[in-house]
Amino acid sequence: MRWGMLINLVKCVGCYSCVVKCKQEHFLPPDVSWGRLLISETGAYPRAIKRAYPVLCNHCKEAKCVDACPTRATQKRDDGIVWVDADKCVGCRYCLIACPYQARTYYSEEKEYYPGQGLTAFERLGRELYPHQIGTVSKCNFCMERVDNGIKRGLKPGVDREATPACVITCPAKARYFGDLDDPDSEISIVIRKWRPTRLHPEFGTDPSVYYVAG
Amino acid sequence: MIQTRPYEFMVSYTPQTQWIEKGGVKLWLAFFFIELGAGMFFVASIFDNLLAMSIGWLLCAALGGGLHLLYLGKPLRFWRMLLSSGWKTSWISRGLFFVALFLALGLAHMVSVRLGARLAFLRVLADAFAFLTVIYGGFAMNYVNGIPLWNTALLPILYVVSGLWGGAEVTLGIAVGSGAVGVGTGVEEWIRILLVGFILLIPVYLMSVRYTSSAGQVSVRHMVLNKWAPLFWIVVVVLGMIIPAMTVISSLLVGLEGVSVALLYAAIFFGLIGDLTMRYLVLRCGMYAPLIPSSSYA
Repeated sequence: MRWGMLINLVKCVGCYSCVVKCKQEHFLPPDVSWGRLLISETGAYPRAIKRAYPVLCNHCKEAKCVDACPTRATQKRDDGIVWVDADKCVGCRYCLIACPYQARTYYSEEKEYYPGQGLTAFERLGRELYPHQIGTVSKCNFCMERVDNGIKRGLKPGVDREATPACVITCPAKARYFGDLDDPDSEISIVIRKWRPTRLHPEFGTDPSVYYVAG
Repeated sequence: MIQTRPYEFMVSYTPQTQWIEKGGVKLWLAFFFIELGAGMFFVASIFDNLLAMSIGWLLCAALGGGLHLLYLGKPLRFWRMLLSSGWKTSWISRGLFFVALFLALGLAHMVSVRLGARLAFLRVLADAFAFLTVIYGGFAMNYVNGIPLWNTALLPILYVVSGLWGGAEVTLGIAVGSGAVGVGTGVEEWIRILLVGFILLIPVYLMSVRYTSSAGQVSVRHMVLNKWAPLFWIVVVVLGMIIPAMTVISSLLVGLEGVSVALLYAAIFFGLIGDLTMRYLVLRCGMYAPLIPSSSYA
């Protein structure tokens, strides 16, 4: 089993819903982003093309960050999800540097979303339910809590909403797919065979699990 | 401080910042002092200069090791780098082992020299781990294939040469200052070779990186033509290479004793500044290639 994601850039409208939903789902502090939306412009008037690229951790099969981590805080699960055990992270940021996709964020200092106005209810709840450790590195984990809980309840990630990563289910354009890349009958595998998507910088030899379909 | 506008982040060439900006300055200095100290120990042990060995050991332990720990987000967890299986793949974990073993074996060697024992196997082991300490930083950076300026086999070689050269320089300064002329003459021969190596390696390194990829080309341009060019040409080349080279040439002509002490110490000082600045530029100009297509190139 290997979890993967496909993002259809033709459908993506650049609404930032995935970025915001990820922040909400994991109570991410200010300056910490697990998913980003990059805006690219190519060409010149009158043939300029503007694209929105949602980027996140690629959960690479040959993850540079896993080998780089000196404490084994960054680990790769059997299902392909690469995650960070914050209790083991020593904050050396070698993984952050080593990642060729710059997908990681270092949580350097505690900040409020509205400085001087106190914590919002969201922030207070986040510090209880999903605390982030200052001085550690974090990144997208394919909402592994949702995936694991869903599987325990007999749900299917990528099909059932409760078991699927938050960014996938929140996309209003249905531009994202999530599923088992090793299952030839999964929706994502069918779509990959049909659309022949690309991956970011395959020359790095990382074998990413996130695919992109561009027009 | 380099400011990247939101539209440029990962769309244009993006400089790495974690290992050079804000707290990253500690890591720059840490790598410098660790490699300088270990290089100094290595050279000094070959010439049996206990004073230089001790100072090199202290530089490595106190400044190098201390700054490394201060840079960590969770410094009290550093022991995990030794007890986990990270050493199998991680150069940071391996480096900590090398440094720890170098410090332990180096201390044992210095104690044995002080007591007059001079155990050859201890010296060989201490020197071996001193050498590994000098080289591990280069390999740690070489591992990062996302930054072409770092991902070259020449970087570890450059760092070994500069670490040993810096160590030899300071050892020479200590030898001359303490009147150990014989040691000074021997070390000076090392400096001649290492300085030539440093001067030749820099352009070879930069030219080889320039031709690897567009990100490498941009990195090298930033260093030698654009924003950081004054620092490179004035501090690294003129102060860090030409002045020491002139001092070496004059010592070849008139002998080490004929060189004025002021010129000698100035050359040592500028050589170290040049090395430190080159390391700064390597960290500062390390660029990631654009993650996604863009119309603009730096």
